[in-house]
Amino acid sequence: MKISSIILISFFSILFLFSVTTYINYRQYQQVSENAERFDRSSTIVRHSNRFQRNFLNMVSGLKGYLLTNDGSLIQMFDSAYVENKQILAELNELVPPQSDQKIILDDVRELEKYWMEEFAQPMLEAKKNAGPSREDREEFLELYQKKIVNGLDKDVQRSLQSKFSDFSNYEYGFRASSQETLAASVQNTRKISIYLTAFAVILGSAIAIFIAQYISSRIVRMVRLANAIAHGDYAVSLPDKGKNELSQLAGALNEMAAILRSSIPLLKRQKEELDQFAHIISHDLKAPLRGIDNVIAWIEEDHSFALPPKVNEYLELIKGRITRAENLLKAILSYARAGREDRKLEVVDLRVMLEEIRGDISNHKNIIYHIQPGMPTLYTERIPLQQVFTNLIVNAFKYHNKDEGMVKVYYQPEENYYTFFVEDDGPGINEAYHDRIFIIFQTLQERDVLESVGIGLAIVKKILDERGQTIRVSSEPGKGTVFSFTWPKTKPV
Amino acid sequence: MMQIVNILLVEDDKLDQTEVERTLDRRNILCRLRVARNGEEALDVLRETERTLNFPDIALIDLNMPKMNGFELIEAIRKEPQWSRIKIFVLTTSDEKADKIEAEKFGVSGFITKPLKLNSPSSKDAFNLMMDLMNNR
Repeated sequence: MKISSIILISFFSILFLFSVTTYINYRQYQQVSENAERFDRSSTIVRHSNRFQRNFLNMVSGLKGYLLTNDGSLIQMFDSAYVENKQILAELNELVPPQSDQKIILDDVRELEKYWMEEFAQPMLEAKKNAGPSREDREEFLELYQKKIVNGLDKDVQRSLQSKFSDFSNYEYGFRASSQETLAASVQNTRKISIYLTAFAVILGSAIAIFIAQYISSRIVRMVRLANAIAHGDYAVSLPDKGKNELSQLAGALNEMAAILRSSIPLLKRQKEELDQFAHIISHDLKAPLRGIDNVIAWIEEDHSFALPPKVNEYLELIKGRITRAENLLKAILSYARAGREDRKLEVVDLRVMLEEIRGDISNHKNIIYHIQPGMPTLYTERIPLQQVFTNLIVNAFKYHNKDEGMVKVYYQPEENYYTFFVEDDGPGINEAYHDRIFIIFQTLQERDVLESVGIGLAIVKKILDERGQTIRVSSEPGKGTVFSFTWPKTKPV
Repeated sequence: MMQIVNILLVEDDKLDQTEVERTLDRRNILCRLRVARNGEEALDVLRETERTLNFPDIALIDLNMPKMNGFELIEAIRKEPQWSRIKIFVLTTSDEKADKIEAEKFGVSGFITKPLKLNSPSSKDAFNLMMDLMNNR
């Protein structure tokens, strides 16, 4: 299984668990808020019903008082209570859900109130209005009052209304208590589920994280070890890994790389050995026949030159010139093959002394000033290769200098782990087109017979520096001189 | 009275033979030079001259030859007690140290580096010996 799939699946499963938790909590919140709303409505309903009952009592007592005392303020009380109750009933009608038990009770209440109004209140008020001040009328009114209010069904209507409201309120109270209970239970439940899910997600997430970290890091550590071994030249290493994921692919690639190196490094080493040996053999073995030809020509010249036509003597000179060039080339191949192959012995090298010695070996007919930067470092390093590098660069600077007066400067710049050395001249300069070619063996920019140059010096310099992982750079413009700069390791400064 | 020096040159290469001949001539060595092209021929010469005045005083032997090489020849010569008075010089193409060490085991008198030069230091001992023999010292 791919590691990216494992990570994705784990991530999504954790995400899913948290989504479920959040959804459950949201549902709970909805339920609670719904409940609160209904609780609120229920309170309003109860409050309204209480007010209705009070108002109704006011209506009854207002009516009775008015009928008996004829006090106008009492009929006003009746009227305002009646108006208010109409409004309360309308509101209750809105609040109570249709087709519920409460609705039926409410309809009964409305009927009862209507019945009371039609049967008792209105006739009595009518009678009161019509009753004249005569004794007869008073008698008649009192009789009606007696019949309707005192002995009539008025009391039953009131009692019935009371009991209806009592049912109504009780129903609300009951509803509230039961929904409170279910809500509490569901809150408890939700809390439990949330805790379980969260805990599970945390444990799952941690477990996956630990697994991935362990799995990936342990294998990466093994691969780093393998890569380090390869870097240190141990190619006989491999990492058994039969998995099918990305890290297995990486391990496979590393194994393959090690195998390729394992097979090609010795081959390269052998080829390099062979090449060096080949250079040695050809330069050495070709020298003998060349010398032979040279000897025979010498004998001819010594013993027979007077007997030869002048043309033949001229041709012999040409042959000798070619022999000299061939010998120079062979010498160059040999010195290139040998370059930097000396024992890598470290010794104390005072660069100032070395650079002055190099100058001492150069014959110089021109007036060229040689300047060595004061305070050149003293190194603990391989003397011979460093000397070869400096010698080739400095000799070239003098040899190719094309002016009567000039200068050759050697200076350096210390870096953290290495020095950069500069050999600068104000000679002819090198066209940029040749800047890469000058380091290739047998590339000389001058005629071959001029200055006995076969174009080996810079190739040797490059070889020595390449073998030590150092770099050389040239910066030059025709007519403006040349600066060669190369790096050399500091090793242990003395 | 000048003596004639008897020299045996064992060398398969005509050019090298000529070079030795010319050098002896240039150095004014009064000599009787016998040339053998390999070890077997050299042994024939030695056997043939064994009891004569022409028996070689000095042998100049090239190491690298067909049939019987220089080492084998030197070994064969040193086996014969009656040939012990021959001074042997080895002709070598260069400074191959292994060859020199090998040759020294057989008691050679010196090494001469080819190509033979008139005044090369390596041939000094050989020519001094020849001069001594010529002057009967």
